[in-house]
Amino acid sequence: MVELGHFALVLALALALVQTVVPLVGARFGSQRMMAVAGPVAVTGFALTALSFAALATAYAQSDFSVVSVWENSHSLQPLLYKITGTWGNHEGSMLLWVLILAFFSALVAVFGNNLPDTLKANVLAVQGAVGTAFLLFILTTSNPFARLSPAPIEGRALNPVLQDFGLAVHPPLLYLGYVGFSVCFSFSVAALIEGRIDAAWARWVRPWTLVAWIFLTGGIAVGSYWAYYELGWGGFWFWDPVENASFMPWLAGTALLHSAIVMEKRSALKIWTLLLAILTFSLSLLGTFLVRSGVLTSVHAFASDPTRGVFILAILVLFIGGSLALFAVRASALTAGGLFQPISREGALVLNNLFLTTAAATVLIGTLYPLAVEALSADKISVGAPFFNLTFTPLMVPLLVLVPFGPLLAWKRGDVLAAAQRLMTAFGAALLAALVTLVFIDGASVLAALGAGLAFWLIFGALTDLAVKAGVGNVALAVSARRFAGLPRSMFGTALAHLGLGLTLLGMVGTLCFGAERILSMHAGETVEIAGRSVRFDGLYPARGPNYTEERGRFLLLGPDGAVKTEVTSSKRLFPVRQTTTTEAGIKTIGLSQLYISLGDQANDGSVVVRIWWKPLVILIWGGGLVMMAGGAMSLMDRRLRVGAPARRRSKAVAATGAGIPS
Amino acid sequence: MLFWIIAAALTLAASLAVLLPLAGGALRPAPASSPDMAVYRDQLAELDRDLGRGLIQPAEAEQARAEIGRRLLRADSAAGLKAARPEGGMLKFVSTAAVLAIPLVSWGLYGMLGSPDMPPQPLAERLAKSPADSSVDELVARAEAHLASDPSDGKGWDVLAPVYLRMQRFSDSATAYRNAIRLEGETAARQIGLGEALTNDSGGIVSAEALAAFEAALKLEPTSPKANFYLAMAAMQDGRIDDAKNGWQRMLASLPADSPWRSAVQEALAEVGRRQAAPAAGGNGPTQEDMAAAQAMSPQDRSAMIETMVAGLDEKLRRDPHDVEGWKRLIRSYVVLGRADQARDALSRGVAVFGAGSADGKTVAAFAASLGVTATE
Amino acid sequence: MTRKQKRLSVILGGLAFLAAATGLTFYALGQKASYFYMPADLVAATIQPGQRIRLGGLVEKGSIVRGQGGNVAFAVTDKEKSVKVTYTGILPDLFREEQGVITEGTFGPDGVFVADSVLAKHDERYMPKEVADGLKAKGVWVESESQ
Repeated sequence: MVELGHFALVLALALALVQTVVPLVGARFGSQRMMAVAGPVAVTGFALTALSFAALATAYAQSDFSVVSVWENSHSLQPLLYKITGTWGNHEGSMLLWVLILAFFSALVAVFGNNLPDTLKANVLAVQGAVGTAFLLFILTTSNPFARLSPAPIEGRALNPVLQDFGLAVHPPLLYLGYVGFSVCFSFSVAALIEGRIDAAWARWVRPWTLVAWIFLTGGIAVGSYWAYYELGWGGFWFWDPVENASFMPWLAGTALLHSAIVMEKRSALKIWTLLLAILTFSLSLLGTFLVRSGVLTSVHAFASDPTRGVFILAILVLFIGGSLALFAVRASALTAGGLFQPISREGALVLNNLFLTTAAATVLIGTLYPLAVEALSADKISVGAPFFNLTFTPLMVPLLVLVPFGPLLAWKRGDVLAAAQRLMTAFGAALLAALVTLVFIDGASVLAALGAGLAFWLIFGALTDLAVKAGVGNVALAVSARRFAGLPRSMFGTALAHLGLGLTLLGMVGTLCFGAERILSMHAGETVEIAGRSVRFDGLYPARGPNYTEERGRFLLLGPDGAVKTEVTSSKRLFPVRQTTTTEAGIKTIGLSQLYISLGDQANDGSVVVRIWWKPLVILIWGGGLVMMAGGAMSLMDRRLRVGAPARRRSKAVAATGAGIPS
Repeated sequence: MLFWIIAAALTLAASLAVLLPLAGGALRPAPASSPDMAVYRDQLAELDRDLGRGLIQPAEAEQARAEIGRRLLRADSAAGLKAARPEGGMLKFVSTAAVLAIPLVSWGLYGMLGSPDMPPQPLAERLAKSPADSSVDELVARAEAHLASDPSDGKGWDVLAPVYLRMQRFSDSATAYRNAIRLEGETAARQIGLGEALTNDSGGIVSAEALAAFEAALKLEPTSPKANFYLAMAAMQDGRIDDAKNGWQRMLASLPADSPWRSAVQEALAEVGRRQAAPAAGGNGPTQEDMAAAQAMSPQDRSAMIETMVAGLDEKLRRDPHDVEGWKRLIRSYVVLGRADQARDALSRGVAVFGAGSADGKTVAAFAASLGVTATE
Repeated sequence: MTRKQKRLSVILGGLAFLAAATGLTFYALGQKASYFYMPADLVAATIQPGQRIRLGGLVEKGSIVRGQGGNVAFAVTDKEKSVKVTYTGILPDLFREEQGVITEGTFGPDGVFVADSVLAKHDERYMPKEVADGLKAKGVWVESESQ
């Protein structure tokens, strides 16, 4: 089975090679037969890559230590879940997952792209094939997950204990679905450049694909953030770590792409910009892969690093980013530019959104790459962290967030800012009220915190206002507006939900950062500490044993006002003997939307333990908002109007023949 | 064999995925209307729906309709410009190259990278096969797995402890002996084993805990030669040379004439004699203890000890083969022992671990060459 | 305004925005980027009081002193010089004597480095990349051949 997986992977490389060359030549010379090769080859390539991945996962699940990567990253005593997730908890396996997802998206294009013009489809799949070829070569030559070991050792070296968590089951697959999802937009753009024309179908396809990738990327980032929050025991939800930035840059660019694709679809404008943005977004995904995989950065993500790998990925990066941008420079002038429009209009607002988001992505990019550049050019080593990003990112985000509720209320072509402002009076009142309440009723609230809370409520109520206005609440009878509300296109709900989620996330951040409490102290068993009006008693340390670790569990009791025990929180230090590594498992208790977070430190000689306790108000909203954003994206994706065809709604044969869209 | 059949089937399927469309029969007729026009018609229909729901004003709808109409006209005039060109030699050439590329690339590359002869080796399967076919490692792993699930099985620990000792996993052995003593009660053999494991773990020094173990063993079996021998050695290490001498002399008096310990004790006593003759010279040599241990042995015992050490190293490398220094040591040891075949075997195994082209592989090969060992003969 | 003037003003507005953003970014880089030093580098470097830096090296053996309520003091060394560091909070799980560490903070008036974050992220060789590079450059640390 192992060798079969290896063989299937090599075969997939051969197919990717064919997928790159044959359809491209076919599209160039107008050969229908050659173009027709793309689809079946993409689907077969996906099947083979999936077979290969299944073989590797089986080797991991069965602890086959004759496979080097299994021996290095697994152990027979690990729980089965971590044996399986360990498949991608290392460099080789995670690259295979990356390629698997790429092949999956190629197959989706092949299966659901029947309504695309033949040449466009052929070129898109050829570009996908080229990316696949490059990464398959990378895997097979520098990071082969199927390298064997003989004689096979009897025990493995175990998965890094920090990764032995459910988060590993979710975070990388989601993140990769996001990263690699943008490859489809990239391929569409490069295909359009190769053809020298932008089809209307192109415009319609880019938006759903961007949405799919964006939903997953949002989810991947949110899960990663929550995982770091509870696993690292530092209580933070975002560290501006270069690896986090690597996933955040494509998100910012992808969000911009999402919005510019709307303009392109509805108004047939901003075509060339959207195309460039699609290229840039995937380029940032590739850059992220490079930064994380090459080992130029130190982080938990940089599994063992190897310079040849870094050079290889750098070559891939230069080839695809440089190649696509060069193609853009040569061919963009040949494309028909879209129409012009008034600055005060929905499309004008969306351009403003793009301006802010791409600038924000650029500042993050500079902040991330600057230390590498400085280190390469001089002997100095610098780090750019939270202070830099707070200073540059915040001034860009605040005006953008202020403008968000205006966008959906402006009409296409000619908008009326004053009318929109009038409609937003309620939301403005709510925001003002929230700010005042914060300032007056919460002890120690700063003006900045009050403004933050106000901004969050502005976004939330702005999103609700949008829906209310569209349903005509206040203008027509309630029954009529209720009917209209139910009949609103789902994409409108999607927009409102996504903006609402943004407001919720902001509210969570403001609550946690401005109104949280933190205490660091050493406690003896039986001692009680007050935090944010709550009493927490330290009950003591108890030893415990897990399948592949031993732990010291600290038991904490949350006391009610009468001193009765309300609930129990355990925070522990785990020792994994195989790797001689200790991890901290934070004790987290969710109360409403807030959390009590307890992290255990070292034990002193007198038996006391250093304990760090946080009260984090509304912290759940940070990730909850992310979920709402994802729901908004999914809602928007379900709107059948986005698709070409939409056969389910109309029985008309002519349109039905043009095929279905992508699945939701 | 099965592997090759499946691999061939996969290759065939992949080739067909390329070949069938290329050889495809009737071509799909060009669609009646271009995809662009379908998009625009769809937009028109959507506009009507929005208008019907009252989502947009009639005037706006009229404007939008006019714009879509303009795009439709443009698309209509652009359609039909492209006609498929005849496919001639080009198609043939590309098809042949593509279809050939599949088997050539896959079998060629796999031939370079793969290990088709290696079966998968799931741990459960390795541990489940008949004990007679298992290596020592596998037997130990099986016992470990069992003890991990049932750590209170004293008999299991008792069996495992001496095996660990032979495999030179001294601290594991000490733990196992301790567990066996705790669960099964103390016997002289267990206490002696514990003492031996601890002594070896600390590089030949008889620690306080090891001493206690040997003393406990003597209480149970006062004549145990091993415990007596180590106790005397502890005395020697403490500098109580007279005690050591007395201990060994008592042993010599009580040992049967054919005891294998006699020669070892005599060697030890000879060493004591040398130490007493020149107390200053050998007083604080750093390798005193090692020397004492090795000196105390008969030549046969000494070579047996070396054999054990080499075998232990060999075992260790089978378990954990990524150790350049280890391979070098092993090759050198076999050369010193005069076992050319085994030295060659170790070389080829070591190189196989790192890959012949890798830096580590080359290091090992170069080292072996410097000792006159080469892979082929 | 004519159409042309309108378009021009939009473009100018956009450019002004980009210029402002660029200016802010580079200002922030100058102000907020923190430099990485090893203890011996500090002799040659001039560091303003209150300037944030990152100090990396090995945790000196026997230097860890735990005080009241999560206060801890230790010394960071590169085997040439060593610097005393104080920190309040929970040390990372990987914080150990003679292992690599990166601390971030400012120098107090008494020459003691007050860290507000202590990182012991590392690869499996227990060495943060910056520290490993620094120690290699000084010849203190030699890459071991095998595990």
